[in-house]
Amino acid sequence: MTENASADSPAAASSVPAARPSQHVVVVPESRLPLGARPARNAVIAAGLIGYAWVLGGTAPFSLKALVGVLLPGAALGVIAYARPPERIPPPESVDVAGFSYWIIAIALLFEWEAAAVRDGSTSWHPSLTDLINPLLGPHPVKSAAIVIWLLAGWSLVRR
Amino acid sequence: MSMRGITIVGFVAVIAALVLLEILGRNPRTRIPTLGDWLGYVMRPAAGRVLILLGWLWLGWHYFAR
Repeated sequence: MTENASADSPAAASSVPAARPSQHVVVVPESRLPLGARPARNAVIAAGLIGYAWVLGGTAPFSLKALVGVLLPGAALGVIAYARPPERIPPPESVDVAGFSYWIIAIALLFEWEAAAVRDGSTSWHPSLTDLINPLLGPHPVKSAAIVIWLLAGWSLVRR
Repeated sequence: MSMRGITIVGFVAVIAALVLLEILGRNPRTRIPTLGDWLGYVMRPAAGRVLILLGWLWLGWHYFAR
């Protein structure tokens, strides 16, 4: 998304002094720069995310460190969403009810299948999704990668 | 096929259906919204926003803290 500004506005004049009055100067606020526009900053953020996920992925299940490690980004995103929300992706004015119902049906099926497994005690012959996924998350790198995806999903939700 | 196999196939089928819906939603000729579209719509009111974010936090706690 970009904004058009006339060349005689102060912001445009300061950024492009040689612009003629007839030219349209595109002023892109820093927050709207494309993802690759600030490689150094992005690299620092990526390194921080991966490092955090690696540390959290190495914590023991049911430990205080693991709990704090999950709650901390949750609290951080909550503060950001409330106090200093980023530029949000404009939500649609409406969604098609029939189209949306397909999602509802699929999600309801997933919950029903999971609830049936939990009701049966998540036995080996009818395991819950959690019991199927947990072994996959066993290796440290896999768990860390999943945490990175979870953190990125949280950030994208804050922007919604 | 064993009962365990049937359970796993059920989960795989539902998750595949969710992925298929996302793919179909990206086609402008269909009426199916993408995940981002309907999440954005649900998150318009503050209550929906809080609920979705709490769901995200619960997922993290469920899979990474337990």
